Amino acid sequence: MAAVLGPFQPIVDMLTSPLFVEIVLFPGLLSIAIIGALLGWLERKVTARVQLRIGPLYASPAGGILQMFADLIKLSFKELFVPENSDAFFFIMAPTTGLVLGAALVGLIPFAPGLQIANIEVGLPAFLAIITLSPTLILLAGWSANSKFPFIGGLRALFQQTAYEIPLWLSALGVIMMAGTMNLAQIVNAQTSGWFILPQALGAFIFLVTSVAEMERLPFDLPEAESEIMMGWQAEYPGVLFLAAQGPGFVKLYAFSALFSVMFLGGFLGPSFLPPLFWMLLKTLIVIVLIMLLRSTFPRVRLDQLLRAGWTTLLSLAILNIGITYLLVVGFPTL
Amino acid sequence: MVAQGILEIGSYVAFLFVSTVALVIILRLFVSPRDPRPTPEKKKPFESGQIAAGPGRTRFIIQYYPYLLMFVVYDVIAMFLFAWGLNLRALGASGSIPVLVFLVVLLIPLGYALHLANHRENW
Repeated sequence: MAAVLGPFQPIVDMLTSPLFVEIVLFPGLLSIAIIGALLGWLERKVTARVQLRIGPLYASPAGGILQMFADLIKLSFKELFVPENSDAFFFIMAPTTGLVLGAALVGLIPFAPGLQIANIEVGLPAFLAIITLSPTLILLAGWSANSKFPFIGGLRALFQQTAYEIPLWLSALGVIMMAGTMNLAQIVNAQTSGWFILPQALGAFIFLVTSVAEMERLPFDLPEAESEIMMGWQAEYPGVLFLAAQGPGFVKLYAFSALFSVMFLGGFLGPSFLPPLFWMLLKTLIVIVLIMLLRSTFPRVRLDQLLRAGWTTLLSLAILNIGITYLLVVGFPTL
Repeated sequence: MVAQGILEIGSYVAFLFVSTVALVIILRLFVSPRDPRPTPEKKKPFESGQIAAGPGRTRFIIQYYPYLLMFVVYDVIAMFLFAWGLNLRALGASGSIPVLVFLVVLLIPLGYALHLANHRENW
């Protein structure tokens, strides 16, 4: 084989190396793009079912499953113009970088033993640190558009971050205290005797609420509240840039649901008659559908309500959770 | 050991960035159409169908200012707890006393700051 390929051998070696396959196929770029588009379809379908509608239907093989791909093709052939007096570089780069950051999160998730792009020692804080940048990008997008609705949306994203950020980090701290490591693969292995959802039930609840607020999904979608400020920071985006602005929401939904199942639901652990990847994806899908159901169940909160709830209720509960976890870890060291 | 995985995540993010930016540039240059006769209203900011009035980047009130100040302080403090939480099993109850004292000392001013911040006249 090597003799036949000759000078092309290094290229073939690179294309078939495990790292390249992980980066490009799964869990990397291509799978993220396909899963993100399918989640867009799933969300429209789930919301439609809750509201007794049918949802996407015609772009089928089955139930309009190709609807988002059809939307992608349609939006690609629309004109990409930037509004007058806007900062064109940041206007285009902010949603593009947001898409990259959302996809970078998936690289930290262990989908199966060894099936992980980057097995970092500080995987959990690295995940949360990357996600911290996204409200800044939203503010940048809103500022560069030189329009009032995007600017209000960007400011809302900034204020909203102060409400959920600290409870999010503190609820993740409970898991770190239980597992004694920040490495995501080792956190999964620490759950062989029991999933952390039981001792960390309060932490899981806070993490779910604050991660929904971080993803800016209903009931916390204040920066893009379409009935108040007309999609907020996305108002000025044309064509495929609108898709780039919407895309990080679905990619982050995928990444956060995967992180939730890694932290609290035992990740890839499960009965051995099916491969670990199946259990990981099944748990992720369950969390995704749960978060989608929140969207059609709860009304949108006001910004001052969110700030007050984040700083009083969620923060007190997160500190209470750390106290409970401290007593658990110190009181029952064998747990 | 600390640097483990940095190369992988770096190459992954670089690959993502290059491919996404390349896609946007290709779409902008080759795929998306150009309007031959744009009207002057087309590139005006969107204001619900009205003619846009005034600059888009207006002056704004920093509402909720006490929360922003508290965030600057307590977000950093939350990070200190990670070093403690990671080594909690090794430290045990006796090793945790300084951290618990630290927490109590910080939570009292947090309570007072929240008491002030939750009054709307202070926004």
